[in-house]
Amino acid sequence: MSRKKLLIRQQAFPLMFVCLLATMMFTTQCTKDNGTGTVTIQLDHSVAGAPLELDQLKYTSQAGHTYSVVNLKYYMSEIRLTDKNGFNVSRGNINLFDIQDPSSARIELTQIPDGDYTHLSFVFGLNEIINVDGGLPNTVENINMEWPIPGDQGYHYMKFEGRYDSLNTGTIRSFNIHTGATKGNQNYLEFTLAIPTLALRDNNWTIQLNMDLNEWLQNPTTFDFVGQELIMMNQAAQEIIKANGASVFSITSVKKT
Amino acid sequence: MNIRTLLPVLLLLVLMGCTKDADQPKDDWTYDPTPYLLDYPDAFPIMQVNADNPMTEEGVNLGRRLYYDPLLHPTGQHACATCHIQEMAFTSSGSVLPHINLGWNKSFLWNGKITGTMEDIMRFEVEDFFQADMSRLEADSLYPRLYYEAFGSPHITSTYTAKALAQFFRTLISSNARYDEAFSPGSGEFPTEEEQNGYDIFFTEKGDCFHCHGGILFTDNGFHNNGLDVDPSTEGRSLVTGNPNDLGKFKSPTLRNIALTGPYMHDGRYETLEEVIDFYSEGLKLSPTIDPLMKQAHLGGIHLTTKEKSDLIAFLHTLTDTTFTTNPALGSPF
Repeated sequence: MSRKKLLIRQQAFPLMFVCLLATMMFTTQCTKDNGTGTVTIQLDHSVAGAPLELDQLKYTSQAGHTYSVVNLKYYMSEIRLTDKNGFNVSRGNINLFDIQDPSSARIELTQIPDGDYTHLSFVFGLNEIINVDGGLPNTVENINMEWPIPGDQGYHYMKFEGRYDSLNTGTIRSFNIHTGATKGNQNYLEFTLAIPTLALRDNNWTIQLNMDLNEWLQNPTTFDFVGQELIMMNQAAQEIIKANGASVFSITSVKKT
Repeated sequence: MNIRTLLPVLLLLVLMGCTKDADQPKDDWTYDPTPYLLDYPDAFPIMQVNADNPMTEEGVNLGRRLYYDPLLHPTGQHACATCHIQEMAFTSSGSVLPHINLGWNKSFLWNGKITGTMEDIMRFEVEDFFQADMSRLEADSLYPRLYYEAFGSPHITSTYTAKALAQFFRTLISSNARYDEAFSPGSGEFPTEEEQNGYDIFFTEKGDCFHCHGGILFTDNGFHNNGLDVDPSTEGRSLVTGNPNDLGKFKSPTLRNIALTGPYMHDGRYETLEEVIDFYSEGLKLSPTIDPLMKQAHLGGIHLTTKEKSDLIAFLHTLTDTTFTTNPALGSPF
Protein backbone atom coordinates (compact mmCIF):
# COMPACT_ATOMS: atom_id res chain seq x y z
CA MET A 1 0.00 0.00 0.00
CA SER A 2 1.43 3.37 -0.91
CA ARG A 3 1.96 5.99 1.71
CA LYS A 4 -0.54 8.33 0.07
CA LYS A 5 -3.35 5.80 0.25
CA LEU A 6 -2.53 5.02 3.84
CA LEU A 7 -2.72 8.70 4.67
CA ILE A 8 -6.12 9.00 3.15
CA ARG A 9 -7.28 5.99 5.13
CA GLN A 10 -5.96 7.42 8.34
CA GLN A 11 -7.63 10.72 7.65
CA ALA A 12 -10.83 9.15 6.47
CA PHE A 13 -11.36 6.98 9.51
CA PRO A 14 -12.43 9.68 11.97
CA LEU A 15 -14.60 11.30 9.30
CA MET A 16 -16.34 8.01 8.52
CA PHE A 17 -16.81 7.35 12.22
CA VAL A 18 -18.43 10.73 12.74
CA CYS A 19 -20.70 10.18 9.73
CA LEU A 20 -21.73 6.76 11.02
CA LEU A 21 -22.42 8.14 14.46
CA ALA A 22 -24.45 10.99 13.00
CA THR A 23 -26.46 8.55 10.84
CA MET A 24 -27.12 6.34 13.85
CA MET A 25 -28.22 9.28 15.94
CA PHE A 26 -30.41 10.54 13.13
CA THR A 27 -32.02 7.13 12.65
CA THR A 28 -32.62 6.71 16.38
CA GLN A 29 -34.10 10.18 16.47
CA CYS A 30 -36.40 9.28 13.56
CA THR A 31 -37.55 6.08 15.23
CA LYS A 32 -38.29 7.94 18.40
CA ASP A 33 -40.32 10.61 16.65
CA ASN A 34 -42.06 8.65 13.91
CA GLY A 35 -42.24 5.03 15.10
CA THR A 36 -45.33 3.20 13.95
CA GLY A 37 -46.56 -0.35 13.91
CA THR A 38 -49.47 -2.50 12.81
CA VAL A 39 -52.07 -3.66 15.27
CA THR A 40 -53.95 -6.69 13.96
CA ILE A 41 -57.32 -7.63 15.38
CA GLN A 42 -57.89 -11.35 14.95
CA LEU A 43 -61.54 -12.38 15.32
CA ASP A 44 -62.36 -15.69 17.00
CA HIS A 45 -65.78 -17.23 17.58
CA SER A 46 -67.00 -19.56 20.27
CA VAL A 47 -70.19 -20.98 21.71
CA ALA A 48 -70.24 -21.26 25.52
CA GLY A 49 -66.46 -21.01 25.52
CA ALA A 50 -65.75 -23.75 22.96
CA PRO A 51 -64.49 -22.87 19.47
CA LEU A 52 -67.38 -22.54 17.01
CA GLU A 53 -68.04 -25.53 14.75
CA LEU A 54 -70.45 -24.94 11.89
CA ASP A 55 -73.42 -27.20 11.12
CA GLN A 56 -73.25 -29.06 14.45
CA LEU A 57 -76.61 -29.39 16.20
CA LYS A 58 -74.97 -29.56 19.61
CA TYR A 59 -75.19 -26.19 21.29
CA THR A 60 -77.75 -25.37 23.97
CA SER A 61 -79.45 -22.01 24.30
CA GLN A 62 -80.57 -20.69 27.66
CA ALA A 63 -84.15 -21.15 26.43
CA GLY A 64 -83.42 -24.88 26.27
CA HIS A 65 -83.09 -25.47 22.53
CA THR A 66 -80.36 -27.50 20.93
CA TYR A 67 -79.07 -25.42 18.04
CA SER A 68 -76.48 -25.22 15.27
CA VAL A 69 -74.77 -22.33 13.54
CA VAL A 70 -74.91 -22.37 9.74
CA ASN A 71 -73.99 -18.84 8.72
CA LEU A 72 -72.40 -15.81 10.38
CA LYS A 73 -71.65 -12.43 8.84
CA TYR A 74 -71.33 -9.04 10.51
CA TYR A 75 -69.90 -5.55 10.18
CA MET A 76 -67.52 -3.83 12.57
CA SER A 77 -66.77 -0.15 12.01
CA GLU A 78 -65.35 2.92 13.78
CA ILE A 79 -62.48 0.76 15.05
CA ARG A 80 -60.29 2.85 17.39
CA LEU A 81 -57.33 2.43 19.70
CA THR A 82 -57.09 4.81 22.66
CA ASP A 83 -53.80 5.48 24.46
CA LYS A 84 -53.26 6.20 28.15
CA ASN A 85 -53.64 9.94 27.53
CA GLY A 86 -57.01 9.49 25.86
CA PHE A 87 -55.66 10.02 22.34
CA ASN A 88 -57.68 8.12 19.71
CA VAL A 89 -56.28 6.49 16.56
CA SER A 90 -58.56 5.23 13.80
CA ARG A 91 -57.70 3.95 10.34
CA GLY A 92 -61.27 4.04 9.13
CA ASN A 93 -61.57 0.26 8.80
CA ILE A 94 -65.01 -1.17 8.10
CA ASN A 95 -64.80 -4.95 8.30
CA LEU A 96 -67.34 -7.42 6.96
CA PHE A 97 -66.68 -10.73 8.68
CA ASP A 98 -67.89 -13.79 6.75
CA ILE A 99 -67.50 -17.21 8.38
CA GLN A 100 -66.91 -18.65 4.89
CA ASP A 101 -63.90 -16.37 4.32
CA PRO A 102 -61.11 -16.84 6.91
CA SER A 103 -59.25 -13.75 5.64
CA SER A 104 -62.14 -11.59 6.86
CA ALA A 105 -61.27 -12.53 10.47
CA ARG A 106 -58.12 -10.42 10.28
CA ILE A 107 -58.39 -6.63 10.61
CA GLU A 108 -55.13 -4.73 10.17
CA LEU A 109 -54.79 -1.26 11.66
CA THR A 110 -51.68 0.06 9.95
CA GLN A 111 -49.35 3.00 10.71
CA ILE A 112 -50.38 3.18 14.36
CA PRO A 113 -48.07 5.63 16.15
CA ASP A 114 -45.94 4.38 19.05
CA GLY A 115 -47.77 4.62 22.34
CA ASP A 116 -49.24 2.82 25.30
CA TYR A 117 -52.72 1.76 24.23
CA THR A 118 -55.26 0.98 26.88
CA HIS A 119 -58.56 0.55 25.03
CA LEU A 120 -60.02 -0.92 21.83
CA SER A 121 -63.34 0.60 20.70
CA PHE A 122 -65.61 -0.23 17.79
CA VAL A 123 -69.15 -0.07 16.55
CA PHE A 124 -70.84 -3.43 16.03
CA GLY A 125 -72.79 -2.73 12.86
CA LEU A 126 -72.75 0.69 11.20
CA ASN A 127 -73.58 4.11 12.59
CA GLU A 128 -76.36 6.30 11.18
CA ILE A 129 -73.97 8.17 8.86
CA ILE A 130 -72.83 5.01 7.05
CA ASN A 131 -76.01 2.99 7.42
CA VAL A 132 -77.94 4.55 4.56
CA ASP A 133 -78.75 3.08 1.17
CA GLY A 134 -75.53 3.17 -0.84
CA GLY A 135 -73.53 4.17 2.27
CA LEU A 136 -70.92 1.46 1.68
CA PRO A 137 -68.83 0.81 -1.45
CA ASN A 138 -70.89 -0.83 -4.17
CA THR A 139 -69.44 -4.34 -3.96
CA VAL A 140 -71.27 -7.63 -4.46
CA GLU A 141 -70.50 -8.48 -0.80
CA ASN A 142 -72.00 -5.25 0.55
CA ILE A 143 -75.01 -5.50 -1.75
CA ASN A 144 -75.69 -8.95 -0.29
CA MET A 145 -75.93 -7.30 3.14
CA GLU A 146 -78.48 -4.68 2.07
CA TRP A 147 -81.50 -4.14 4.34
CA PRO A 148 -84.18 -3.51 1.73
CA ILE A 149 -87.23 -3.43 4.01
CA PRO A 150 -89.50 -0.66 2.64
CA GLY A 151 -89.24 2.37 4.91
CA ASP A 152 -85.87 1.33 6.37
CA GLN A 153 -82.34 2.03 5.18
CA GLY A 154 -78.87 0.60 4.99
CA TYR A 155 -77.45 -2.85 5.64
CA HIS A 156 -77.78 -5.91 7.85
CA TYR A 157 -75.37 -5.47 10.78
CA MET A 158 -75.36 -9.20 11.42
CA LYS A 159 -76.65 -12.39 9.84
CA PHE A 160 -76.50 -15.13 12.47
CA GLU A 161 -78.37 -18.14 11.08
CA GLY A 162 -78.85 -21.70 12.18
CA ARG A 163 -81.21 -24.52 13.03
CA TYR A 164 -82.79 -25.53 16.32
CA ASP A 165 -84.69 -28.42 17.81
CA SER A 166 -88.23 -27.23 18.39
CA LEU A 167 -88.63 -29.52 21.49
CA ASN A 168 -92.33 -30.20 21.32
CA THR A 169 -92.67 -31.37 17.75
CA GLY A 170 -89.32 -33.07 17.25
CA THR A 171 -88.76 -31.20 14.02
CA ILE A 172 -85.80 -29.04 13.18
CA ARG A 173 -86.59 -25.42 12.53
CA SER A 174 -84.51 -22.45 11.40
CA PHE A 175 -83.65 -19.14 12.99
CA ASN A 176 -82.31 -15.94 11.42
CA ILE A 177 -80.96 -13.39 13.85
CA HIS A 178 -80.66 -10.53 11.38
CA THR A 179 -79.93 -7.21 13.07
CA GLY A 180 -80.10 -3.74 11.59
CA ALA A 181 -81.91 -0.42 11.77
CA THR A 182 -85.65 -0.80 11.82
CA LYS A 183 -88.55 1.57 12.30
CA GLY A 184 -86.27 4.51 13.09
CA ASN A 185 -84.17 2.62 15.65
CA GLN A 186 -80.48 2.43 14.77
CA ASN A 187 -79.74 -0.66 16.90
CA TYR A 188 -75.96 -0.63 16.46
CA LEU A 189 -73.76 -1.37 19.46
CA GLU A 190 -70.74 0.56 20.73
CA PHE A 191 -67.95 -1.29 22.50
CA THR A 192 -64.98 -0.01 24.50
CA LEU A 193 -62.82 -2.87 25.79
CA ALA A 194 -59.81 -2.46 28.08
CA ILE A 195 -56.52 -3.81 26.69
CA PRO A 196 -54.12 -5.34 29.27
CA THR A 197 -50.79 -4.04 27.86
CA LEU A 198 -50.08 -2.75 24.39
CA ALA A 199 -46.81 -0.85 24.38
CA LEU A 200 -46.32 -0.07 20.71
CA ARG A 201 -42.65 0.74 20.01
CA ASP A 202 -42.09 0.53 16.28
CA ASN A 203 -43.38 -3.06 16.35
CA ASN A 204 -46.49 -5.08 15.55
CA TRP A 205 -49.15 -6.41 17.88
CA THR A 206 -52.10 -8.78 17.62
CA ILE A 207 -55.27 -8.52 19.66
CA GLN A 208 -57.40 -11.68 19.78
CA LEU A 209 -61.02 -10.60 20.01
CA ASN A 210 -63.55 -13.34 20.70
CA MET A 211 -67.30 -13.34 20.04
CA ASP A 212 -69.25 -15.91 22.05
CA LEU A 213 -72.43 -16.57 20.10
CA ASN A 214 -74.32 -17.98 23.09
CA GLU A 215 -74.20 -14.53 24.68
CA TRP A 216 -76.53 -13.15 21.99
CA LEU A 217 -79.15 -15.52 23.39
CA GLN A 218 -78.82 -14.71 27.12
CA ASN A 219 -77.66 -12.20 29.68
CA PRO A 220 -79.68 -10.28 30.60
CA THR A 221 -82.66 -11.62 28.61
CA THR A 222 -83.27 -15.17 27.42
CA PHE A 223 -83.85 -15.12 23.68
CA ASP A 224 -86.19 -17.90 22.57
CA PHE A 225 -86.06 -18.80 18.87
CA VAL A 226 -89.70 -19.86 18.94
CA GLY A 227 -91.80 -17.08 17.47
CA GLN A 228 -88.66 -15.01 16.81
CA GLU A 229 -87.28 -16.89 13.83
CA LEU A 230 -87.48 -13.75 11.70
CA ILE A 231 -86.87 -10.42 13.40
CA MET A 232 -86.00 -7.80 10.79
CA MET A 233 -89.16 -5.82 11.51
CA ASN A 234 -89.43 -6.83 15.16
CA GLN A 235 -87.93 -4.01 17.22
CA ALA A 236 -88.65 -5.77 20.54
CA ALA A 237 -86.48 -8.71 19.43
CA GLN A 238 -83.82 -6.30 18.11
CA GLU A 239 -83.74 -4.67 21.58
CA ILE A 240 -83.17 -8.03 23.29
CA ILE A 241 -80.32 -8.94 20.95
CA LYS A 242 -78.81 -5.49 21.35
CA ALA A 243 -78.90 -5.66 25.15
CA ASN A 244 -77.52 -9.22 25.21
CA GLY A 245 -74.78 -8.11 22.81
CA ALA A 246 -73.00 -6.15 25.55
CA SER A 247 -71.35 -9.36 26.77
CA VAL A 248 -70.54 -11.13 23.48
CA PHE A 249 -67.03 -9.75 22.96
CA SER A 250 -63.95 -10.35 25.06
CA ILE A 251 -60.26 -9.78 24.49
CA THR A 252 -58.50 -13.10 24.97
CA SER A 253 -54.91 -12.08 24.31
CA VAL A 254 -52.71 -9.14 23.37
CA LYS A 255 -49.31 -10.11 22.00
CA LYS A 256 -46.33 -8.58 20.28
CA THR A 257 -45.96 -10.30 16.90
CA MET B 1 -23.85 -32.32 -51.89
CA ASN B 2 -25.62 -35.51 -50.97
CA ILE B 3 -29.12 -35.95 -49.65
CA ARG B 4 -27.90 -36.42 -46.05
CA THR B 5 -26.42 -32.99 -46.07
CA LEU B 6 -29.40 -31.48 -47.78
CA LEU B 7 -32.02 -32.98 -45.53
CA PRO B 8 -31.43 -30.77 -42.47
CA VAL B 9 -31.23 -27.73 -44.70
CA LEU B 10 -34.49 -28.63 -46.38
CA LEU B 11 -36.12 -29.32 -43.01
CA LEU B 12 -34.93 -25.98 -41.72
CA LEU B 13 -36.33 -24.25 -44.76
CA VAL B 14 -39.67 -26.00 -44.34
CA LEU B 15 -39.75 -25.10 -40.64
CA MET B 16 -38.88 -21.50 -41.37
CA GLY B 17 -41.62 -21.45 -43.94
CA CYS B 18 -44.10 -22.81 -41.42
CA THR B 19 -42.93 -20.44 -38.74
CA LYS B 20 -43.24 -17.55 -41.06
CA ASP B 21 -46.79 -18.40 -42.07
CA ALA B 22 -47.99 -18.99 -38.53
CA ASP B 23 -46.13 -16.20 -36.79
CA GLN B 24 -46.40 -13.44 -39.25
CA PRO B 25 -49.68 -11.68 -39.89
CA LYS B 26 -50.63 -10.84 -43.43
CA ASP B 27 -49.52 -7.41 -44.56
CA ASP B 28 -52.95 -5.82 -44.39
CA TRP B 29 -53.72 -7.06 -40.86
CA THR B 30 -53.40 -4.55 -38.06
CA TYR B 31 -53.24 -4.93 -34.31
CA ASP B 32 -54.53 -1.67 -32.87
CA PRO B 33 -57.44 -2.64 -30.62
CA THR B 34 -60.02 -0.05 -29.60
CA PRO B 35 -60.86 -0.02 -25.88
CA TYR B 36 -64.43 -1.11 -25.15
CA LEU B 37 -66.28 0.75 -22.43
CA LEU B 38 -68.62 -1.40 -20.39
CA ASP B 39 -71.90 0.38 -19.88
CA TYR B 40 -74.01 -0.25 -16.79
CA PRO B 41 -75.77 1.92 -14.19
CA ASP B 42 -73.92 3.34 -11.18
CA ALA B 43 -76.10 1.25 -8.87
CA PHE B 44 -74.43 -1.89 -10.22
CA PRO B 45 -71.19 -3.00 -8.57
CA ILE B 46 -67.94 -2.37 -10.41
CA MET B 47 -67.34 -5.33 -12.71
CA GLN B 48 -63.92 -6.90 -12.30
CA VAL B 49 -62.03 -7.21 -15.58
CA ASN B 50 -58.83 -9.25 -15.69
CA ALA B 51 -55.77 -7.08 -16.27
CA ASP B 52 -54.44 -9.55 -18.85
CA ASN B 53 -57.68 -9.43 -20.84
CA PRO B 54 -58.72 -5.80 -21.25
CA MET B 55 -62.03 -5.17 -22.98
CA THR B 56 -61.64 -4.22 -26.64
CA GLU B 57 -64.08 -3.79 -29.50
CA GLU B 58 -62.16 -6.44 -31.43
CA GLY B 59 -62.19 -8.89 -28.51
CA VAL B 60 -65.90 -8.44 -27.85
CA ASN B 61 -66.75 -8.83 -31.54
CA LEU B 62 -64.65 -11.98 -31.82
CA GLY B 63 -66.26 -13.39 -28.67
CA ARG B 64 -69.72 -12.65 -30.02
CA ARG B 65 -68.92 -14.38 -33.32
CA LEU B 66 -67.56 -17.43 -31.48
CA TYR B 67 -70.69 -17.53 -29.27
CA TYR B 68 -72.89 -17.87 -32.33
CA ASP B 69 -70.59 -20.04 -34.48
CA PRO B 70 -71.01 -23.86 -34.52
CA LEU B 71 -67.47 -23.99 -35.86
CA LEU B 72 -66.38 -23.85 -32.20
CA HIS B 73 -67.86 -27.32 -31.72
CA PRO B 74 -65.59 -30.19 -32.82
CA THR B 75 -68.29 -31.62 -35.08
CA GLY B 76 -70.09 -28.34 -35.75
CA GLN B 77 -73.26 -29.61 -34.09
CA HIS B 78 -74.08 -26.49 -32.11
CA ALA B 79 -72.91 -23.13 -30.85
CA CYS B 80 -73.24 -21.59 -27.38
CA ALA B 81 -76.24 -19.73 -28.75
CA THR B 82 -78.01 -22.96 -29.67
CA CYS B 83 -78.94 -23.50 -26.01
CA HIS B 84 -78.62 -19.85 -24.94
CA ILE B 85 -81.17 -18.01 -27.05
CA GLN B 86 -81.29 -14.22 -26.85
CA GLU B 87 -85.10 -13.94 -27.00
CA MET B 88 -85.22 -16.24 -23.96
CA ALA B 89 -82.67 -14.10 -22.10
CA PHE B 90 -79.91 -16.49 -23.17
CA THR B 91 -81.37 -19.73 -21.91
CA SER B 92 -83.64 -22.40 -23.42
CA SER B 93 -85.92 -25.12 -22.20
CA GLY B 94 -84.50 -27.56 -19.68
CA SER B 95 -82.24 -26.61 -16.81
CA VAL B 96 -79.97 -24.30 -18.80
CA LEU B 97 -78.69 -21.42 -16.66
CA PRO B 98 -79.21 -18.11 -18.44
CA HIS B 99 -76.27 -15.92 -19.41
CA ILE B 100 -77.31 -12.74 -17.62
CA ASN B 101 -74.93 -10.44 -15.74
CA LEU B 102 -72.41 -13.25 -15.23
CA GLY B 103 -69.63 -10.66 -15.28
CA TRP B 104 -70.39 -10.13 -11.58
CA ASN B 105 -70.21 -13.84 -10.72
CA LYS B 106 -67.31 -15.61 -9.08
CA SER B 107 -68.69 -19.15 -9.21
CA PHE B 108 -70.34 -20.80 -12.16
CA LEU B 109 -72.68 -23.65 -13.09
CA TRP B 110 -75.47 -24.96 -10.83
CA ASN B 111 -73.04 -26.55 -8.38
CA GLY B 112 -70.26 -23.95 -8.57
CA LYS B 113 -67.89 -26.48 -10.13
CA ILE B 114 -65.84 -23.63 -11.59
CA THR B 115 -64.86 -20.72 -9.38
CA GLY B 116 -62.71 -17.79 -10.38
CA THR B 117 -62.88 -15.38 -13.26
CA MET B 118 -64.91 -15.28 -16.45
CA GLU B 119 -61.76 -16.46 -18.25
CA ASP B 120 -61.64 -19.55 -15.99
CA ILE B 121 -65.21 -20.59 -16.76
CA MET B 122 -64.74 -19.88 -20.47
CA ARG B 123 -61.60 -22.00 -20.58
CA PHE B 124 -63.66 -24.82 -19.06
CA GLU B 125 -66.43 -24.32 -21.62
CA VAL B 126 -63.98 -24.28 -24.55
CA GLU B 127 -61.64 -27.08 -23.47
CA ASP B 128 -63.84 -29.43 -21.43
CA PHE B 129 -67.48 -28.79 -22.28
CA PHE B 130 -67.15 -28.17 -26.01
CA GLN B 131 -63.71 -29.80 -26.39
CA ALA B 132 -63.29 -27.29 -29.15
CA ASP B 133 -60.82 -28.03 -31.92
CA MET B 134 -58.74 -24.92 -32.54
CA SER B 135 -57.49 -26.23 -35.88
CA ARG B 136 -61.02 -25.82 -37.25
CA LEU B 137 -60.83 -22.11 -36.44
CA GLU B 138 -57.26 -21.84 -37.76
CA ALA B 139 -58.35 -23.32 -41.08
CA ASP B 140 -61.11 -20.76 -41.40
CA SER B 141 -60.59 -17.90 -43.82
CA LEU B 142 -61.54 -15.18 -41.31
CA TYR B 143 -60.66 -16.23 -37.74
CA PRO B 144 -56.82 -15.94 -37.87
CA ARG B 145 -57.21 -12.30 -38.84
CA LEU B 146 -59.84 -11.66 -36.12
CA TYR B 147 -57.62 -13.25 -33.44
CA TYR B 148 -54.69 -11.13 -34.65
CA GLU B 149 -56.76 -7.95 -34.51
CA ALA B 150 -58.00 -8.81 -31.00
CA PHE B 151 -54.86 -10.22 -29.40
CA GLY B 152 -51.93 -9.36 -31.67
CA SER B 153 -51.26 -13.00 -32.47
CA PRO B 154 -52.44 -15.06 -35.42
CA HIS B 155 -52.15 -18.19 -33.24
CA ILE B 156 -55.54 -19.53 -32.31
CA THR B 157 -55.37 -21.04 -28.84
CA SER B 158 -58.04 -22.05 -26.37
CA THR B 159 -56.72 -19.32 -24.05
CA TYR B 160 -57.41 -16.59 -26.61
CA THR B 161 -60.74 -18.21 -27.43
CA ALA B 162 -61.70 -18.16 -23.74
CA LYS B 163 -60.55 -14.56 -23.44
CA ALA B 164 -62.64 -13.44 -26.40
CA LEU B 165 -65.72 -15.26 -25.09
CA ALA B 166 -65.12 -13.77 -21.61
CA GLN B 167 -65.11 -10.30 -23.13
CA PHE B 168 -68.42 -10.92 -24.87
CA PHE B 169 -69.96 -12.45 -21.72
CA ARG B 170 -69.08 -9.30 -19.76
CA THR B 171 -71.26 -7.35 -22.20
CA LEU B 172 -74.30 -9.59 -21.54
CA ILE B 173 -75.67 -7.01 -19.11
CA SER B 174 -79.33 -6.71 -18.28
CA SER B 175 -79.94 -3.47 -16.37
CA ASN B 176 -82.83 -1.87 -18.17
CA ALA B 177 -85.96 -3.65 -16.96
CA ARG B 178 -89.18 -1.90 -16.02
CA TYR B 179 -88.04 -2.49 -12.41
CA ASP B 180 -85.05 -0.20 -12.94
CA GLU B 181 -87.39 2.67 -13.83
CA ALA B 182 -90.56 2.02 -11.85
CA PHE B 183 -88.82 1.51 -8.51
CA SER B 184 -86.29 4.33 -8.93
CA PRO B 185 -87.55 7.55 -7.36
CA GLY B 186 -87.30 10.46 -9.76
CA SER B 187 -87.45 8.35 -12.91
CA GLY B 188 -90.96 9.51 -13.69
CA GLU B 189 -92.13 5.88 -13.85
CA PHE B 190 -94.20 4.30 -11.10
CA PRO B 191 -95.15 0.74 -10.21
CA THR B 192 -98.76 -0.38 -10.38
CA GLU B 193 -100.46 -1.20 -7.09
CA GLU B 194 -100.00 -4.92 -7.80
CA GLU B 195 -96.29 -4.49 -8.60
CA GLN B 196 -95.76 -2.46 -5.43
CA ASN B 197 -97.52 -5.12 -3.33
CA GLY B 198 -95.34 -7.75 -4.96
CA TYR B 199 -92.25 -5.66 -4.23
CA ASP B 200 -93.23 -5.43 -0.56
CA ILE B 201 -93.66 -9.21 -0.34
CA PHE B 202 -90.36 -9.78 -2.16
CA PHE B 203 -88.28 -7.35 -0.09
CA THR B 204 -89.62 -8.16 3.39
CA GLU B 205 -89.56 -11.34 5.43
CA LYS B 206 -93.18 -11.83 4.33
CA GLY B 207 -92.01 -13.47 1.12
CA ASP B 208 -88.32 -13.34 2.04
CA CYS B 209 -87.21 -13.72 -1.57
CA PHE B 210 -84.49 -11.08 -1.25
CA HIS B 211 -82.03 -12.91 1.00
CA CYS B 212 -81.11 -15.20 -1.91
CA HIS B 213 -82.37 -13.15 -4.86
CA GLY B 214 -81.87 -9.60 -3.62
CA GLY B 215 -79.76 -6.59 -4.47
CA ILE B 216 -79.48 -4.94 -7.83
CA LEU B 217 -78.29 -8.23 -9.37
CA PHE B 218 -81.21 -10.24 -7.91
CA THR B 219 -78.89 -13.00 -6.75
CA ASP B 220 -76.59 -13.46 -3.76
CA ASN B 221 -74.20 -15.57 -5.87
CA GLY B 222 -74.54 -18.23 -3.17
CA PHE B 223 -75.61 -21.87 -2.88
CA HIS B 224 -78.72 -22.95 -1.02
CA ASN B 225 -80.98 -25.93 -0.43
CA ASN B 226 -84.32 -24.23 -0.97
CA GLY B 227 -86.44 -27.16 0.20
CA LEU B 228 -87.26 -28.95 -3.04
CA ASP B 229 -86.94 -32.50 -1.69
CA VAL B 230 -87.26 -34.44 1.56
CA ASP B 231 -84.17 -36.39 0.58
CA PRO B 232 -81.94 -33.93 -1.24
CA SER B 233 -80.18 -35.52 -4.15
CA THR B 234 -76.46 -36.10 -4.10
CA GLU B 235 -76.20 -33.57 -6.89
CA GLY B 236 -75.42 -29.99 -6.20
CA ARG B 237 -72.73 -28.25 -4.26
CA SER B 238 -71.75 -31.36 -2.26
CA LEU B 239 -70.47 -32.98 -5.47
CA VAL B 240 -67.88 -30.21 -5.61
CA THR B 241 -67.06 -29.76 -1.91
CA GLY B 242 -67.52 -33.34 -0.71
CA ASN B 243 -69.25 -31.84 2.33
CA PRO B 244 -72.48 -33.65 3.30
CA ASN B 245 -73.75 -30.33 4.69
CA ASP B 246 -73.87 -29.12 1.08
CA LEU B 247 -76.30 -31.82 -0.11
CA GLY B 248 -79.07 -30.38 -2.23
CA LYS B 249 -77.48 -26.92 -2.48
CA PHE B 250 -77.60 -25.16 -5.83
CA LYS B 251 -76.65 -21.73 -7.09
CA SER B 252 -79.20 -18.92 -6.69
CA PRO B 253 -79.84 -17.78 -10.26
CA THR B 254 -80.55 -14.12 -10.96
CA LEU B 255 -84.25 -13.30 -11.17
CA ARG B 256 -83.67 -10.67 -13.83
CA ASN B 257 -85.74 -11.77 -16.86
CA ILE B 258 -87.17 -14.62 -14.78
CA ALA B 259 -90.46 -14.55 -16.71
CA LEU B 260 -88.47 -15.53 -19.83
CA THR B 261 -86.17 -18.19 -18.40
CA GLY B 262 -88.46 -21.10 -17.50
CA PRO B 263 -88.64 -23.94 -16.80
CA TYR B 264 -87.38 -23.38 -13.28
CA MET B 265 -85.08 -24.96 -10.66
CA HIS B 266 -81.83 -26.84 -11.36
CA ASP B 267 -83.76 -29.73 -12.87
CA GLY B 268 -86.38 -27.66 -14.66
CA ARG B 269 -89.18 -29.28 -12.63
CA TYR B 270 -91.51 -26.26 -12.72
CA GLU B 271 -92.84 -24.97 -16.02
CA THR B 272 -94.40 -21.71 -14.85
CA LEU B 273 -93.84 -18.93 -12.33
CA GLU B 274 -97.21 -19.87 -10.80
CA GLU B 275 -95.87 -23.34 -10.01
CA VAL B 276 -92.73 -21.82 -8.50
CA ILE B 277 -94.70 -19.47 -6.25
CA ASP B 278 -97.01 -22.31 -5.19
CA PHE B 279 -93.91 -24.29 -4.21
CA TYR B 280 -92.54 -21.48 -2.02
CA SER B 281 -96.00 -20.86 -0.60
CA GLU B 282 -97.11 -24.40 0.27
CA GLY B 283 -94.67 -26.96 -1.13
CA LEU B 284 -91.44 -26.66 0.90
CA LYS B 285 -89.90 -29.91 2.15
CA LEU B 286 -87.83 -30.09 5.33
CA SER B 287 -84.47 -31.84 5.05
CA PRO B 288 -81.30 -31.83 7.15
CA THR B 289 -79.51 -29.36 4.87
CA ILE B 290 -82.40 -26.99 4.13
CA ASP B 291 -81.18 -23.41 4.27
CA PRO B 292 -82.00 -21.62 7.53
CA LEU B 293 -83.32 -18.78 5.37
CA MET B 294 -86.30 -21.07 4.62
CA LYS B 295 -87.68 -20.19 8.04
CA GLN B 296 -91.22 -21.31 7.35
CA ALA B 297 -90.36 -24.68 5.85
CA HIS B 298 -91.78 -26.45 8.90
CA LEU B 299 -95.13 -24.88 7.94
CA GLY B 300 -94.72 -25.93 4.30
CA GLY B 301 -93.98 -22.39 3.13
CA ILE B 302 -94.88 -18.75 3.37
CA HIS B 303 -98.62 -19.27 2.74
CA LEU B 304 -99.49 -16.44 0.41
CA THR B 305 -103.07 -15.65 -0.60
CA THR B 306 -104.10 -15.91 -4.24
CA LYS B 307 -103.91 -12.12 -4.49
CA GLU B 308 -100.45 -12.01 -2.91
CA LYS B 309 -99.25 -14.66 -5.34
CA SER B 310 -100.46 -12.76 -8.37
CA ASP B 311 -98.99 -9.51 -7.02
CA LEU B 312 -95.64 -11.21 -6.54
CA ILE B 313 -95.76 -12.53 -10.10
CA ALA B 314 -96.66 -9.03 -11.36
CA PHE B 315 -93.53 -7.78 -9.59
CA LEU B 316 -91.38 -10.55 -11.11
CA HIS B 317 -92.56 -9.47 -14.56
CA THR B 318 -91.05 -6.00 -13.93
CA LEU B 319 -87.64 -7.73 -14.13
CA THR B 320 -88.10 -8.48 -17.84
CA ASP B 321 -85.68 -6.42 -19.92
CA THR B 322 -86.64 -6.44 -23.59
CA THR B 323 -83.78 -4.11 -24.51
CA PHE B 324 -81.53 -7.00 -23.43
CA THR B 325 -83.39 -9.66 -25.40
CA THR B 326 -83.54 -7.54 -28.57
CA ASN B 327 -80.22 -5.68 -28.43
CA PRO B 328 -78.62 -6.27 -31.87
CA ALA B 329 -75.14 -5.88 -30.36
CA LEU B 330 -75.78 -9.06 -28.39
CA GLY B 331 -77.43 -10.91 -31.28
CA SER B 332 -76.01 -13.15 -33.97
CA PRO B 333 -73.47 -11.54 -36.31
CA PHE B 334 -74.31 -14.11 -38.99
